[in-house]
Amino acid sequence: MEKHCKESRRRFIFGTALTVAGVVSGFPFSNKLLAELVVLDDKKKVLGLTPSIWVEITKENYVVVTVARSEIGQGVRTTFAMIVAEELDADWSRVIAINAEGDSKYGDQSTGGSTSVRTFWTTLRQAGAQARQLLINAAAEIWGISPDNCYTQNSYVYEKNGVRKLSYGELIDKAIQLPIPPANSVKLKKVSDFKILGKPQKNIDETSFVTGKAVFSSDYRLEGMKYAVILRCPYIGGSLASFDDSEAKKIKGVVGVYQISEGIAVVAENSWLALKGRDALKVTWNKGTNAELSTEQIFNKFYSLIGNLPDLPGNTTKKIECTYEVPFLAHSTMEPMSAFAYFHNGKCEIWAGTQNPQTARSQVATALGITQSNVKANVLFSGGGFGRRHNNDYIVMAAKISKLSGFPIMFFYTKADDIKNDYYRPASVHSIKAGIDANGNPTGFIHKVISQGDVSFVSPSYNLGVVQNSTASYGFGIRTGPWRSVDYTQNIFVIESVVDELAYLAGKDPLQFRLSLASDEKLKTVLRRVGENYGWGRELPEGWGRGIAAFVGYGAYIAHIVEVSVSKEGFLKIQKIYAVVDPGFPINPENIKNQIMGAAIDALSTAINTEITIQNGQIQQSGFHNYRWLRMNEVPEFNIEILTTSDRPSGMGEVGFPSVTPALCNAIFNATGIRIRKLPIGKTPLLKVDGKENKTKDLEFNAYPNPFETKVTLNIRTNDIKSSNLIVRIFDILGKLVFESKLNFNGTSYQTQLDFEDLPASVYYVVFELNNQIFSFPILKKN
Amino acid sequence: MKIKVNKVEYNLDVESDMPLLWVLRDLLKLTGTKYGCGIGVCKVCTVLIDGVPEQSCLVPIGFVEGKEVTTIEGISQNGDHPLQKAWNELSVSQCGYCQPGQIIRAYYLISKIPKPTIEDINREMSEHICRCGTYNKIREAILLATKE
Repeated sequence: MEKHCKESRRRFIFGTALTVAGVVSGFPFSNKLLAELVVLDDKKKVLGLTPSIWVEITKENYVVVTVARSEIGQGVRTTFAMIVAEELDADWSRVIAINAEGDSKYGDQSTGGSTSVRTFWTTLRQAGAQARQLLINAAAEIWGISPDNCYTQNSYVYEKNGVRKLSYGELIDKAIQLPIPPANSVKLKKVSDFKILGKPQKNIDETSFVTGKAVFSSDYRLEGMKYAVILRCPYIGGSLASFDDSEAKKIKGVVGVYQISEGIAVVAENSWLALKGRDALKVTWNKGTNAELSTEQIFNKFYSLIGNLPDLPGNTTKKIECTYEVPFLAHSTMEPMSAFAYFHNGKCEIWAGTQNPQTARSQVATALGITQSNVKANVLFSGGGFGRRHNNDYIVMAAKISKLSGFPIMFFYTKADDIKNDYYRPASVHSIKAGIDANGNPTGFIHKVISQGDVSFVSPSYNLGVVQNSTASYGFGIRTGPWRSVDYTQNIFVIESVVDELAYLAGKDPLQFRLSLASDEKLKTVLRRVGENYGWGRELPEGWGRGIAAFVGYGAYIAHIVEVSVSKEGFLKIQKIYAVVDPGFPINPENIKNQIMGAAIDALSTAINTEITIQNGQIQQSGFHNYRWLRMNEVPEFNIEILTTSDRPSGMGEVGFPSVTPALCNAIFNATGIRIRKLPIGKTPLLKVDGKENKTKDLEFNAYPNPFETKVTLNIRTNDIKSSNLIVRIFDILGKLVFESKLNFNGTSYQTQLDFEDLPASVYYVVFELNNQIFSFPILKKN
Repeated sequence: MKIKVNKVEYNLDVESDMPLLWVLRDLLKLTGTKYGCGIGVCKVCTVLIDGVPEQSCLVPIGFVEGKEVTTIEGISQNGDHPLQKAWNELSVSQCGYCQPGQIIRAYYLISKIPKPTIEDINREMSEHICRCGTYNKIREAILLATKE
């Protein structure tokens, strides 16, 4: 049995990071605590007890938990710390989380698939229980009593029926002399005895976030470091023909320009000079074979690959044959990709937000031609992940630039770089045949997915009769990658929309229809509960609608009801979202609530407004102005119920996304009779009028051309012209005023030409008042 | 050039058109102010200039000469400002990246309107994007911080 008496290497690293770098440590300690640790380090004595790689007890009676998954906003640092603290009976206010570096000794560190808790649940509980048992044994030995006569509470060991107590920190000197109980020998707590788990706990990092102390990927600073940006070919599949960097190099503070396989890197004394240097590069590109590529071509290709779908079973009396379209999406994290790398003496040190520090390590090693043991990949906070940081391209570029330049490098993408060089959520077309029999029961569900980038099919969680799935894909050279909830984002949107279509086809209530087709009791429970919480049967005002959808995955069950209103002008408002989630055992209900709200807003934003499109071989979007995200005034109220149904937790970072999109689209159908089969919703007018030509007895409205690219001419002809001009207002689909214009009277009609250059592609509503009547007409700006 | 950030004076040798954001982050190492979009859309980089929120990515350093800049580091380093305490109480943050900017905007809001209504909060805070979707919690936290 091994004994653990070691000076904390980690502590030593903090000390050097602080004193050598002189700026920041990679970890979000409060300054006070960090100072204490460093002072203790200088005393050269035993600092802590590490019964396992997961936990350390310090002399000052802190518990330090090593978190081997990356914090990207899903709350894993708090969650992992809670799990260890629970079994250790630690004082939660004296628990600290630190990040593991990329190292195979920690097992699989890939933060994806909502697997973190499920993978480490038992390991971390055992680590906590093991440390606790060791501390009890130490106290028992000091007191000369049996370990059975000791108990633990809030980081102290107490003597049963006695007055003696010792803090965990005070027990270290004794504990290091004792054998460590094997992890699989220790007894774990009963769920009913949990004091920390299952109760709402505060985010362990909140204070460092709100004081600006948390060190994110782009925040790492080291004396003497330089800043680097890259100019990459804007054409998908294009390449560099030639470049001239003479003007860039003339800029004072530009340190160097380097060609790497990804593009041309400019290194400078600060971020701004690096960007200035990049602007001064003169480059010609080979456009490559995709120079004319457009989203339209991509989708046309998808449609050409549908082929013949099998027939539905013979007892089918009514059927739906249709296609659904889902666009490419960028991750568009709040923090554009960035990484620090320092290559020197044959070794490379990385500091970055990444969802996979192990592959970062191996990829950097390969790129630099060194062994993995010469790469240290340290994990910082990520300003959002959503799957983007599974690809470590930005870390590899930082390392390569550091090696070429010889400097410690902070490499960063601008927002536009980030959106234009992402690994996108694949775009797909879903060809569907689904039917019901004479009794309104499903007979079959035939689903073919055609995509660029792999999209696996997901089978429905309902009994839809004969299910047949198939896939096809076609590569245009557009890089794709995992995106929050991955294939579920497309599949659940399609399946839960089609189930809704079938319910209406059968003349059945969408909730009852689902309940009758679900066999899994847990699925039925979340559906039934959300219906009860919302009051499914109640009347809604005119123009309002509600939609329901459910999702089973990541070990969890969830059902959503979205309530919307669509105004007479066509403006969509998300009124409320109800969710019932069954995570098995809810580790931290407060964090679950955050994840459910956050994932829903993610789903609403992407469903309503966002898509990545391609024109002339280039990505068209460049920032939040044309890749829009919902704001505070656009998000709904939430009602979230969290169930407890087992002793084991599920994943939670992705559970809340998939069923929101279809519940929203089903609600729009309920409100308007308009079925959304193409995302984003912003492509479809929510008014049942034809935007090209609209006539009433007294009024004729024309927009030409419609759809339009940037400019559109509006024409209103009326029999009753009252003044020399008329005010028209233009709103986006959520009813936000984006444009106001005066239409001039030109003899027979009001007319004006509008320029939509700066507005994203979407439906807009032209709204004006004539003869005390409000008119609204949709116009569509194309990509 | 002399600038004043969080009541500390700095003497800088920089061109006057360098954006305040990069001066804060790269020269003064005040990395609590974040880079988000660089074009004034996302508001992540918001700081106060003479008490008024501005996008530091768009403000040239020359513009702040003789003015008072307040960044997140100037609110409270211990996190004991009522807004920070409310954020902590409710565990508002997810990834945390946009929160310094959100706190700065909320700080401005309550300096103008000590007891903001939900409408006041929505109007002011809808300037900012939170990619994680913490909006409902931010609103709740501002209400909590201004309850007394």
